[in-house]
Amino acid sequence: MRPEQQEIEVAVLVSVGRHPITGRARRADQDARGLELALGLERQLPGSRVSLLHAGPRGEESEAALRGYLGMAAGADMGLDTLTLLEQAEGSDAIPALAEHLAAAPPQLVITGARAERGEGSGLLPYALAERLGWPLVNGLAAVETVENGVATLLQALPRGQRRRLKVRLPAIVSVDGAAPVARQSAFGPARRAELEVIPVAAQPDQELAEWQLAPARKRPKRLKIVKAASARDRFKAAAAKAEGSSGQVLEGVSAEQGAEAIFKLLKEEGVLR
Amino acid sequence: MLETLLPILIFSALALAVIGAIRRVRLWRQGRPSAVPLLKGLAAMPRRYLVDLHHVVGRDKVMSNTHVATAGGFVAAAVLMILVHGLGLANPVLGGLLLLASTAMFVGSLFVARRRRNPPARLSKGPWMRLPKSLMAFSLSVFLITLPTVGVLPEGFLQGAGSWILALALAAVLAWGLGEMFFGMTWGGPMKHAFAGALHLAFHRRAERFSTKGGEGNRSTGLKALDLENEAAPLGVEKPSDFTWNQLLGFDACVQCGRCEAVCPAFAAGQPLNPKKLIQDMVVGLAGGSDAHYAGSPYPGKSVGEHRGDPHGPIVAREGKALVDAETLWSCTTCRACVEECPMMIEHVDAIVDMRRHLTLERGQTPNKGAEVLDNLIATDNPGGFDPGSRLHWAADLELPLMADVKQAEVLLWLGDGAFDMRNQRTLRALVKVLRAAEVEFAVLGVEERDSGDVARRLGDEATFQSLAKRNIATLAQYRFQRIVTCDPHSFHVLGNEYGELGGVYEVCHHSTYIAELFEAGRLHFAPWKGGSVTYHDPCYLGRYNGEFDAPRNVLKALGIEVKEMERSGFRSRCCGGGGGAPITDIPGERRIPDMRMNDVKQTGAELVAVGCPQCTAMLEGVVDATAEVRDIAELVADALVANAQMQSPAAEAVDATRRPAGKTAEEVI
Repeated sequence: MRPEQQEIEVAVLVSVGRHPITGRARRADQDARGLELALGLERQLPGSRVSLLHAGPRGEESEAALRGYLGMAAGADMGLDTLTLLEQAEGSDAIPALAEHLAAAPPQLVITGARAERGEGSGLLPYALAERLGWPLVNGLAAVETVENGVATLLQALPRGQRRRLKVRLPAIVSVDGAAPVARQSAFGPARRAELEVIPVAAQPDQELAEWQLAPARKRPKRLKIVKAASARDRFKAAAAKAEGSSGQVLEGVSAEQGAEAIFKLLKEEGVLR
Repeated sequence: MLETLLPILIFSALALAVIGAIRRVRLWRQGRPSAVPLLKGLAAMPRRYLVDLHHVVGRDKVMSNTHVATAGGFVAAAVLMILVHGLGLANPVLGGLLLLASTAMFVGSLFVARRRRNPPARLSKGPWMRLPKSLMAFSLSVFLITLPTVGVLPEGFLQGAGSWILALALAAVLAWGLGEMFFGMTWGGPMKHAFAGALHLAFHRRAERFSTKGGEGNRSTGLKALDLENEAAPLGVEKPSDFTWNQLLGFDACVQCGRCEAVCPAFAAGQPLNPKKLIQDMVVGLAGGSDAHYAGSPYPGKSVGEHRGDPHGPIVAREGKALVDAETLWSCTTCRACVEECPMMIEHVDAIVDMRRHLTLERGQTPNKGAEVLDNLIATDNPGGFDPGSRLHWAADLELPLMADVKQAEVLLWLGDGAFDMRNQRTLRALVKVLRAAEVEFAVLGVEERDSGDVARRLGDEATFQSLAKRNIATLAQYRFQRIVTCDPHSFHVLGNEYGELGGVYEVCHHSTYIAELFEAGRLHFAPWKGGSVTYHDPCYLGRYNGEFDAPRNVLKALGIEVKEMERSGFRSRCCGGGGGAPITDIPGERRIPDMRMNDVKQTGAELVAVGCPQCTAMLEGVVDATAEVRDIAELVADALVANAQMQSPAAEAVDATRRPAGKTAEEVI
């Protein structure tokens, strides 16, 4: 609320979600949390504007799901009566379209969910986008604390409730997961009235995706976590204990080559690279 | 001198009353249009007043007679006074009638005065306390000025010098009476209830509630659908002027008797709702101003005078305070006890749901678990967010015939969302046992069934309700059945009374009704009751909503149970607290509604309370340290079935088994 804070332009990238039980299209949980985070900026930075961006095909089911985001605008005066739909054919690569659109009129902050609920769901979109635009990226965002003179102070969520405060020069991309505030209720009226601004974009078929073979996921056996604790106190301690990374190491004051070598070695050890 | 003064007084009071009436009508006309047959309504009004309204008022005999004497006396006296003193028709016969009328009114006003000496808490005070005096002033002065007309007093009695003062005093008292009775009637005094009430009866939004010469009125309890096709139509009520004009008129008819307050479960539980105050707040809203002049019981925990509104301002503020706080609207259990008791036939529940619709559909402000439940209903067709494919898991071993296989059946057993609740699954299993014992040909929709939409609609989410209803109607249209039987009164009400407007007309009955019929037909036999004393709790959605009070009692009688009635039973049954999404919105109060209801049970000394609703079962069973066991009627019947071994015969199961294609069972059930 301090005077040097100024209003900002926020773009929230939203996708068509998929209900985990019924598979019906819906507003995706993480993307909706991202929008909630953006709407929360209104209190901190009055006058901030939020725009919604989606790239994908247009259909009745997906439109209903996208309107779910617009229904969250009830009472928020942040210009949330439209959603920009970059229309592309099914199976197109969303990243070039999004990057082009964002680069044309760059917002200060781009918020995305960490991972889509349908399609590839690789969680790579924010990274690919950040790479293309050359913007910094912060994942696992819990809150935007302040925005001053083009620098945002962010709170990043780490495992087990830990938080890390970061300063990031804007424009930046941030991704949210389950640590971000729960999305507000979506209201029918504003969702119905809102407009979808459709911009057809050149379809760039996702070549790699086309080569993939998709198969339904199989349930994999999961190792049971056995807590050998004699008392309730021990069980509680075991449940609440910090994960002690046993084999991690902190490299400080090393050159880029040394760092890369250490990472390369670790990836080999873990079997990621062969 | 009085001969010249009286017509002036009478006609100026009448003229002021007409001006007030025009102003008041203009206030009502701020509301949205509503097609009501005006002339037909006006013609039906006397009957609606004399029969239907007095049917409600007559529940309190003393008050009813008081009102007949006072109101009847006043109407007669007013008309005759205009003739005799206004128009100068000094006919002794008319004068005699006028004396009679004013006497009746005076006697009535004595009873009104007696009631006002130690008024019960539910009555409003303030201007209402002066009403008996005003009634007396009017009746007494009319009586006295009429005496010379019939010649009881010598003509010259009021002519003498000293009598000038007497005449002036008399005229002053009459002016007071006229002021209250004529002027106050249309300018917002207590007598407004007569003017607005008469028109409200004429232009009531549920004309079907009233009896006609042809027969009784029906209960007309189904909520009216919102027009979702028309994007310009408002989604619910945001401002007082979003109500239809006859709803506003209805609010204005309130006589502040507080009968609604006395029966409201939320009010008794100390939740911030008082139906009377709510209606008065709507009156404040339609006229504009603050609620500081309200002289009755406030919303529990909220002081009077902090809220204000106007016809075109929001009823519920987005921030801060406006006319009503949202939690007041969300406290209602939609039990309709207030509507049932209201002598003015005001529709409180309609108004509350209208306002909830705005909060949910336009603002997305359904409190507490509301949003989650609505999201679940949208995504999984049930409020708990369960896998729709698991709807029949409770019946995995019962081999229930599925409509998808048999295509037609005599009875369609509607399971309701209780199918996901382990407690209600026991009731459902008992009901299946009973139906099989009576060899009823029935089938279930199984996984094709969805929530009926009851909760969504009462939480104000008309869009989700209509979506569920339309899909259910489309599913039901594929099959042939004679009627729907359900053990969930909420589904019963919605399927029977609310789907009709959307194109689904069915004969629906509650399982207690159906079991009573089966017993009547000699298809069920019961062992004599060996348990302890039993009382019966009427579910609101079965009793007040659908008028089914007898069938459950008949079933209990057939079981050999003599029901120990609670003080509040039948149409006056107290809500369990589970309706209208109240357990979902969960507005805090001082007490819990089900605790109070279990206390009612305790007072009868019953060891068991029979219920007929999954919501009531859940609410009443949730009471800690209850003195009575809670059991559904279906469970009691299933336990009492005799010749169980033979009736639950392999033959009956085999019949069912033959109806379904072999091998289908495993897929469908799991």
